[in-house]
Amino acid sequence: MGLVRKQAPEPEAPQVLDTDELVRRLDDPDPELRREAALELTGIPAAVPELLARVGLETEPRVRDAVLTTLAAHDSEAVAAGLAVHLASDEAGLRTAVAEALATMPGSVPALLPSLLAAPDHDVRVMTAMVLADLPHPEAKSWLVRMIAEDPHPNVVTAAIDALLPAASAEHRPVLEAAVLRFPDDPFLAFTVRAALPRLTGTA
Amino acid sequence: MTRVLVVDDAATVRLYHTSLLREAGFEVAEAANGLEAVEAAMTTPFDLFVVDVNMPKMNGYACVETLRSETVGTAAPVLMISTEDRPGDADRAYQAGANLYLVKPVAAERLVRVATMLTTGKDPAA
Repeated sequence: MGLVRKQAPEPEAPQVLDTDELVRRLDDPDPELRREAALELTGIPAAVPELLARVGLETEPRVRDAVLTTLAAHDSEAVAAGLAVHLASDEAGLRTAVAEALATMPGSVPALLPSLLAAPDHDVRVMTAMVLADLPHPEAKSWLVRMIAEDPHPNVVTAAIDALLPAASAEHRPVLEAAVLRFPDDPFLAFTVRAALPRLTGTA
Repeated sequence: MTRVLVVDDAATVRLYHTSLLREAGFEVAEAANGLEAVEAAMTTPFDLFVVDVNMPKMNGYACVETLRSETVGTAAPVLMISTEDRPGDADRAYQAGANLYLVKPVAAERLVRVATMLTTGKDPAA
């Protein structure tokens, strides 16, 4: 008599939660449930306002990262604008996490750039240079060049130079040299440009 | 030789600080974010940490807090250098465990002088 194979038990269907329940879970005391809820809200536009509201409130970095990942996937101007306000946050973890998220949003960040480049707080402009450093957009280098050429604050200019250098070429030499002339008393700026120029001109 | 870890996500800043400190006789290692710094500090004893604030993966404040925690437990001096000069930034650095907070840009002579003072307790300019 042949062996009779035991039927494997039917796998349990994963529990599907509706949007309202997932939004409620964003406030759950358990950070793991909050993180899972944030990730499961991916692709649900109705959840965007709720997720944006949590960005500044969430204290657990891994949950905040999940919220930002879900929001960044929307890459909409509403999300970009909602995130950009946190570039001025006093909390370093929040502003750097938001900069990283914005750097993955090439569709919507460009519309914000005029206001970010004109932000009265130079720290916001420094964070904008961090965004542009990683933004996969054909104009990213042009915006950085504009910052280097025009921004009145040396720390913004050095942040923009640092962001541009990995992709810089000989054509950027004049704007870099002009930046040194604009800020003759800034030792770091002069050092950075001096160190970069040989590589740009192929004499490194 | 006095061993320094320079922690900054900006390659140009690391190059600047590293060059100045090496020229002044320090042995210098580099880390590109707070996480790398913590990992380095767990395997190598450093006499001084020069730490930026805005960094991906682990920002400067979290990095310094971790360096001071039982996980790493270093008592070596920490100099934080950042573009941030808003009210409260320095207080936040001192709360995290930094010994000194300076705003970029830091002149070459000042960086070397401060690094020497923090590691030897003596002012080379005195």
